[in-house]
Amino acid sequence: MKNFYIFTAAAVVATILAVLFVPGVDDFVERTFQVYLGRAAR
Amino acid sequence: MKLFRRVVIVIFCLLLIPIAAVATAGAKQRFEDGPNRVFSGGPLVAGELHSGPDPDWSFVSEVPTIEMQLLSPAQSRRIWIAEHENKIYVWSGYMGNPIGRIWKRWPVQAERDGRAVIRINGVRYERQLKRIQSGDLLDGLTATITEKYPSATTRAAVEAGDVWVFEAAPRS
Repeated sequence: MKNFYIFTAAAVVATILAVLFVPGVDDFVERTFQVYLGRAAR
Repeated sequence: MKLFRRVVIVIFCLLLIPIAAVATAGAKQRFEDGPNRVFSGGPLVAGELHSGPDPDWSFVSEVPTIEMQLLSPAQSRRIWIAEHENKIYVWSGYMGNPIGRIWKRWPVQAERDGRAVIRINGVRYERQLKRIQSGDLLDGLTATITEKYPSATTRAAVEAGDVWVFEAAPRS
């Protein structure tokens, strides 16, 4: 499990950095979120 | 039992990744000049501030979305707009739905303090949002809305409170 926790923490940090600094990632996240939010609200 | 606990932990940990992505993207947008899609943006800063009499608003029928910022709180979002009898209107659906009410907080905020700034084609306009809950005006307005957008907005939905409609009137 310890390795899994390390992997999760690394993935979360990598995700945050990608959203903050890689062009287009924030828009992709928002677009995907919009799809699920729209479905949930209907 | 131990296996079940581990499965729950694994699912929780994997869910943290998309949650972190959404939270980060939402927080990042708050520092931007305007919104992007669903996440609120910061105050509308760029663009000429319109002064003088209102323009002929018929041009908004060609505008798919606008950016709108309330003064309190100073956050902006992207919304649909309709023009009817040379007045402009914004609205929010899903207001009869609990998830929609969590998602769409601006209508409640606008009813409390309707001062707003809208940005259309790079020009900012100071407006006062006035909620319209009933009246014959809604027949023509909802017809305009459904003609422009894939929307099921009806007078009945507005009067039932499922859709909140605001006139974006000049700020006096």
